[in-house]
Amino acid sequence: MTRVPQALRRPAAVIGLALLLMQIALIVLAPIISPYSPMEADPAASLQPPSMAHWFGTDITGMDVLSRVIHATRINLLISVSSVALAFVVGVPLGLVIGYYRGWLSGLAMRIFDFVQAFPIFVLGMALVSVTGQEIWNVAIVLAVLFIPIFARLIRAEVLSLRERPFVAAARCSGAGDLDIMFRHILPNALMPAMVQVSISIGMAILLTAGLSFIGAGVRMPTPEWGLMVSTGAQQMILGVWWVSLFPGLAIVVAVLCFALLGDVVRDLLDPSRARKTKAPAGVALPVPGPVPGTLGESR
Amino acid sequence: MLAAFRSRWDSLPRALQIVLGRLALVIPQMFGVLLVTFFLIRLLPGDPAILLLGNMATPDAVAQLRDRLGLNDSVWTQFVSYVGNVLHGDLGVSIFTSNPVTVDLMERAPATLELIFYAMILTVVIGVVIAVVSVVRAGGPVDVASRIYGLAAGAIPDFWIGLLLIYFFFTLLGWAAAPFGRIDAMMSPPPYVTGFLTIDSLVAGDLETFWSAVGRLLLPVLTIAIVNAGALMKMTQSIFAGVWRSDFVRHARACGVPERVIIRAALRNSLPPIITMIGFLVGFLLGAAVLVETIFSWGGLGQYAVQAVMNSDYPALQGFILVASAFILVVYLVVDILYELVDPRIRV
Amino acid sequence: MTRSELDMKPVLSVEGLRVVFDTPDGDRTILQDVAFELRPNEILGIVGETGAGKSVLARAIIDLLPEGGRRVGGTVEIMGRQLERMDEGERRQVRGGQVALIGTNAKALLDPVERVGNQIVRVLRSHRKLSRKDAWAKAVKLLGDVGIVNPAERARAYPHELSGGMAQRVVIAMALITEPKVLLADDATLGLDATVSVQVLDMLVERSRELGLSVVLITHDLGIIAHYCNRVAIMRQGRIVEMRDVTGFLAKPGTPYSQELLDAAKARPVPSIRATASEGQPLLEVSNLLKIFAGSRPGEEVRAVDGVSFSVRRGETLALVGESGSGKTTIGQCLVRLLDASGGAIRFDGRDITTMPEAEFRPLRRRIQMVFQEPYVALNPRWKVMRLVDEPLRMLEKASAAERLRRVHRALDLVNLPTSHAELYPHELTAGEQKRVGIARALVTEPDFIVFDEPTTALDIRVRAQIIDLVRDLQSRMRLSALFITHDLNSVRSLAHDVAVMNRGRIVEAGPLEDVFASPKDPYTVKLLSAELAVEHEAEARHVHIPQPKEAMI
Repeated sequence: MTRVPQALRRPAAVIGLALLLMQIALIVLAPIISPYSPMEADPAASLQPPSMAHWFGTDITGMDVLSRVIHATRINLLISVSSVALAFVVGVPLGLVIGYYRGWLSGLAMRIFDFVQAFPIFVLGMALVSVTGQEIWNVAIVLAVLFIPIFARLIRAEVLSLRERPFVAAARCSGAGDLDIMFRHILPNALMPAMVQVSISIGMAILLTAGLSFIGAGVRMPTPEWGLMVSTGAQQMILGVWWVSLFPGLAIVVAVLCFALLGDVVRDLLDPSRARKTKAPAGVALPVPGPVPGTLGESR
Repeated sequence: MLAAFRSRWDSLPRALQIVLGRLALVIPQMFGVLLVTFFLIRLLPGDPAILLLGNMATPDAVAQLRDRLGLNDSVWTQFVSYVGNVLHGDLGVSIFTSNPVTVDLMERAPATLELIFYAMILTVVIGVVIAVVSVVRAGGPVDVASRIYGLAAGAIPDFWIGLLLIYFFFTLLGWAAAPFGRIDAMMSPPPYVTGFLTIDSLVAGDLETFWSAVGRLLLPVLTIAIVNAGALMKMTQSIFAGVWRSDFVRHARACGVPERVIIRAALRNSLPPIITMIGFLVGFLLGAAVLVETIFSWGGLGQYAVQAVMNSDYPALQGFILVASAFILVVYLVVDILYELVDPRIRV
Repeated sequence: MTRSELDMKPVLSVEGLRVVFDTPDGDRTILQDVAFELRPNEILGIVGETGAGKSVLARAIIDLLPEGGRRVGGTVEIMGRQLERMDEGERRQVRGGQVALIGTNAKALLDPVERVGNQIVRVLRSHRKLSRKDAWAKAVKLLGDVGIVNPAERARAYPHELSGGMAQRVVIAMALITEPKVLLADDATLGLDATVSVQVLDMLVERSRELGLSVVLITHDLGIIAHYCNRVAIMRQGRIVEMRDVTGFLAKPGTPYSQELLDAAKARPVPSIRATASEGQPLLEVSNLLKIFAGSRPGEEVRAVDGVSFSVRRGETLALVGESGSGKTTIGQCLVRLLDASGGAIRFDGRDITTMPEAEFRPLRRRIQMVFQEPYVALNPRWKVMRLVDEPLRMLEKASAAERLRRVHRALDLVNLPTSHAELYPHELTAGEQKRVGIARALVTEPDFIVFDEPTTALDIRVRAQIIDLVRDLQSRMRLSALFITHDLNSVRSLAHDVAVMNRGRIVEAGPLEDVFASPKDPYTVKLLSAELAVEHEAEARHVHIPQPKEAMI
């Protein structure tokens, strides 16, 4: 296995991995490569356009936009990655259990998930953060709570279909018990779509965090955070001061794009049949699509 | 007894069975919404009465509200009285505007609905058309462009693209209307009929107001559509592509059925899941409206909610969540009913 | 066939056809130098194994190759006109208008959200200018002609409301509605029950004769060829290796490959070594077994297994025969406790396992194993063969790692798989090898009793014969007792001592194989046997004697 898998050699994969490495470098090296302190106001240098001294210009309080964009990588990725990690750690076992044991309790859990997911995620996040207090960790926890149902439902749906697969029956005939079947047979097969969801969710979390801060429901000034920085520039944008909002916004786009690309890579890596795709001449039947998984209710 | 009910039920027409079955589900869901909004306030540290009245409240007023909310009673009694108030249309008084929350919400709802309505239409048109063309002409220019757009649209924050649009089309080029509200500040809104300024102005025959309203709608609608059409497009693409590759489509082609008839049949088959997605989209758009309204000073529900958050105006926030969830439940209800109506395979 | 018929111009002629598919490793040739002619009123059979290029050929004829495929040489001439000289509009008119294609799995070929009548109308109106009302009337009439009862009402049904056989009739109606000249039936009845399949094919052939159509029957089943076709073309690796009249082919195939196919399609002689110790109590005794499932509506119940009794002695094999929905698979699942019986008793080696708690049954699992139906889906796709075959040992026996490795290798050896296969994943194996891995898993604990669930379905002719020979070998070498669940009567002849025929949850007839198959008593058994298109019988009907195959190499 010394050869680089096909999935990693696609241009999209190369770009995604490069962006990820770049962000990791920014996180680690932030204090070294930032030209200024991210939180130090300099009233004399307010709203300077991009120049050699300030590559990305300065904001209204005279803070260096570049330094703040670099430092914000830490906060934004910290919140996003930790919230998704938390949701994954809680959601996956939850989904496994409610998918495998179908009783009234798992039915109730599903109803609750339906319900939480029925709310627009941003509105709910806004309300929860404002109620729990606008701290970094509260934002992360609230996002995790919002993402748990996504992971739990995804895993549950996988488990429901996997547990009916003949190889599970075959394992049972071979003497495998419930735990063996859950953890050795079902979980490894169910985890794959969840891995793809991880990267999608990190992207979502970055957007949500920034959005919350933008409307003032997330972290507060002067913490360097991309959404907050876009919002500090929003007033001046109309007046032609574009740099204060443009650069942190671009940082968001790059970060989300990076995880979206990585999601595609993961999908290709984990799906052996996609990776070794040879066009089959025989008629491969595709099931007629039913309802989209993860819609309201399972009464259909 | 059960059997008798069963046979009565079976004799109902399918469409009626679907509608009744779904309506029965909404009641517990609505109950859940009330439960959530109720506990949202009780979860906060501190006295709910002070939270609801604000820090400036007099001890008298606090005592009075405590009494009215029944804060000295058990939680369940409180909940029952809360539900009673909501059913009577009493959502409390906003700390920030000092108006009853119900009045505030009613006033602002049409602005948001109008925005979402047009954004929705544009999103669906862009999303579905690009998806279908990219699948039917796989490998063509639209297909390639759709891939780039799909990737980019998912990564762009709506509030940021809104600002960029304002900068380019208002500040730099001067083509777009100013991002301050729904019509020109110099104009007076048309008499209230539907609350949609575009429709009301046409009803009143006031073309000038109509064009002003359309101009103001342009950028916010575009902002929402650009960001959300990407997601809708990607999902429609995968659904439609699945149908497009399916055996019955290939069989229809082998039977010599013309391509446009096949496209129509494939689209008809993709419809149920697309309808479900459009339902979810409404929820997304409501979230997007919160951000976009703030940027464009739209004065709708979203902006009201943001103000509520900023000012710790809990009655307003509670009211907004309640109304927003109820709205979304109704949308999902309609979507579910439509879904089951268009898919003959679903047994009621 | 008279002289003048032979002189008539062919309705379809294919010359030097070459089709390639582009793959990541460059072009792959799927069809090579394919040439044949289809005469008026003729039924031509094309037979071959998976990957022989049969379906691609059918699609090449209507110029609708699957994605990635393209024709790089040769001509297709339909009714004297060359396909490649037509414009796209004319080619569309040919599809369904002059050459109609009927595919496998009819339910998937129908638009799931459109009434079947409208789907037939859709095809008709794509080729003829006709009002919707007239087209509907014609569709309803044709539905009646293809054997659908109450066609006016059935035309308004959606595909999911139809049975597989009815759906296939609808697809045939879609093909016939435009009165085409050529019918391409690509494994049209694959997956249908034998009795239904024969009815549908009979109808298809009868209609075609009436309408004066020429038919190409593409299949992997030599029985169908022998029963219905005038001529046969044998395909292998994209080429037609032999083409001649069916009677001649049955008498003496022209190439070693054709001979091999024909041999593989024949039944093996019944295993001679019947249990030596038939005395004493049976190893497995099922009495009055009952399995009730909840119906789709509350209060409704479905009796999948309804009072079934049978017994199997050591060294004996009992075949449980029936069509889909007869309850035979349910019985198998009750035996290995994948399902709990609703009533009755299953006694294994004298102990009632029906009500035994799982913990108590677990040690018995080592002695009673099951081979699952679909080879690929019954293997965990993320496990290597080594781990898959090792699983029963690790779970059910206390053995050292070295001991287990030795036994896994021996099990692989028993099923004729090289030990190097232990390091492969299921998707890297062929269907036959996957099946062998499934059998190795069942054998590794050296069980006394094995339930084979449809061991020969969905396998190519030769692979199927190899699996049958493998099981025969195991029977004689290991004195295995087995329950053999199948609808494939041919494999029953080759493998079972006794047979029990099931219909709707009940055993309608049981006894020694020779007795039941030679002189069936129950009408259902008679029907089932008459639906079997065994090459031996067909050859006899054509007054051809075909010799018994020699014991094939495994």
